[in-house]
Amino acid sequence: MFIVDDLLVKPFLSLLDILHTMALDEMYDTDAIRDEIKENRLLYEVGERSEDEYQRRKQELETQLGLAQQIQEQMRDRMEIKT
Amino acid sequence: MSENIYTYGIIEQEDLEVATEGVAGAERIYTIDYRNLSAVVSDIDTTEPERTDEDVEAHNAVLQHVLEYDGGRTIVPMSFGMAFKSGRTLKGVLRGARRALRSTLNDIEGTIELGVKILTPADDELPQEDIRAAVTDQLTEVSINETENDLFTDRLIVNKSYLVDRKQRDAFDAAIDEIEERYDDGLILNYTGPWPPYNFVDIHIGAEQQGGR
Repeated sequence: MFIVDDLLVKPFLSLLDILHTMALDEMYDTDAIRDEIKENRLLYEVGERSEDEYQRRKQELETQLGLAQQIQEQMRDRMEIKT
Repeated sequence: MSENIYTYGIIEQEDLEVATEGVAGAERIYTIDYRNLSAVVSDIDTTEPERTDEDVEAHNAVLQHVLEYDGGRTIVPMSFGMAFKSGRTLKGVLRGARRALRSTLNDIEGTIELGVKILTPADDELPQEDIRAAVTDQLTEVSINETENDLFTDRLIVNKSYLVDRKQRDAFDAAIDEIEERYDDGLILNYTGPWPPYNFVDIHIGAEQQGGR
């Protein structure tokens, strides 16, 4: 009975894992954050963003990028252990 | 103590001192020779400098000074962060990359790089394709080569680097002025340079050559 349960539950868990990973991937998309960092800089250079605004947003994005990189790394480790 | 060497780029052998502040507040920018090449360098106390806005600007400012030095010099630019353990390590790298550096110096002799980014105003719907085609055709005519860079925001319709002969600089400037005038109330133009031809040199300093960095 245990084996049957396990077989039934495991694929479901894996699918949940994949969906979870996809959601996290989108939330912590490092390329998208890097693009925003470049956009912030460009808008500052063309005078659309003040220096204060630029610095504040830059700090936010850099923090976000650091966090995203950490999460991505942890997710990779988790996937490697699973496979 | 500053024992490490930060490298900005490589020129034909010449003793050069540049009067501008370098990376990590370096006050002296000088050259280290290897045969007929010179590396433009300053002292630094780390081999892994942090990439701050100020230091990236200082790196670019040194390269621009050399580029404009006394009528202009050709320089193979290094990307930000190339710091070596010592002058000896740097010479080892120059020895390994000498052939590639020499041929690149010949290839880019007398050229500069100019950057052009064109942005649409926020929430504006302009005929992006038509503008892009018209602008890039015009700039292609006054340049030697060009690279397409990443369009990292939806508002960016052109992001290109152009390799331009120094003698064509005025013609390129005039083309930019014309574009600016034509799209005066619609587009935002970000024109930068002159830069050393970052996007037109392709030298990879291998792990072996970087040993001891």
